Amino acid sequence: MKKINMFFDIEKEEKWLNEQLEKGYRCKNISGFGVYTFQESNERYVVRLDYQDYLTKKKFQEYKAIYEDFGWAHIAGWRSGGIQYWQKQKGGQSEIFSDRQSKGNYYKRLMSYSFWFLMLGLFLYYLMYKDSGLYLTEGLWDMEGTLFWKALIFETPFVLLRSFPIFMVILFGTSFYKAYRKYSMYKDS
Amino acid sequence: MKHKLLPLSETMHYILLALREPLHGYAVMQKIEKMSNSTVILAAGTLYGAIENLNKHGWIEAVGNAGRRKIYMITTEGEEILKVEQERLKHILSLYESGDFNEEN
Repeated sequence: MKKINMFFDIEKEEKWLNEQLEKGYRCKNISGFGVYTFQESNERYVVRLDYQDYLTKKKFQEYKAIYEDFGWAHIAGWRSGGIQYWQKQKGGQSEIFSDRQSKGNYYKRLMSYSFWFLMLGLFLYYLMYKDSGLYLTEGLWDMEGTLFWKALIFETPFVLLRSFPIFMVILFGTSFYKAYRKYSMYKDS
Repeated sequence: MKHKLLPLSETMHYILLALREPLHGYAVMQKIEKMSNSTVILAAGTLYGAIENLNKHGWIEAVGNAGRRKIYMITTEGEEILKVEQERLKHILSLYESGDFNEEN
């Protein structure tokens, strides 16, 4: 069974995945384009999502070796950085973090990831709007009748593309703030 | 200023104590489970992060491989950290036992 979904929130993604597994599936594959492949299973499984920055080949091997020793199977995740998807049969330790310090560090990694994309978004935003508005056609707002509508409809797709940095800023700004809230909850309290 | 890992968290404390003999990651978790009478059961990500952290600060080091697993052991610096912690805990224990808080200095 394949399901398509898109998430901008790692915790919502983890929750959704576990809801699917609760229905008697195990996750077989996750592609980068939001295609999740499931298989029916009599065993119950649990999925946990970790976030790691770029790891050297050796570090990535060691990282995977430790998780695999604990019974976790790596479903997806790049060595170059990003979400690491881990799945395990239910029973015993079903968490990947067992103390506050490591949970806090996890939110810290999420924070720095969101932060850099937020900065990239702000930079693109600056490049695109430093000397213009969203619509580039000169005199667009002075046009009349069908000419105005034609020009507006023609340009709108481009405007949507050009507003991509705004979406980036909102998206990564939100995820940065969420990770920061969680981080300060776990940080020495 | 105090080191950012001090006072040691329960996880870090147990790992340093366990690594007074050379062990790979999973064996560290098993040993800690025994040492703590099954009250501390480390999760994979916590153990990985703690080993990374302790290694980065030079308190433990890799001393070999067993297949694709890395074997770690405590360093002299790590032993010194344990001594500092031992003194701190001894003092706290003495406060428990004396029952009064007469300031001596």
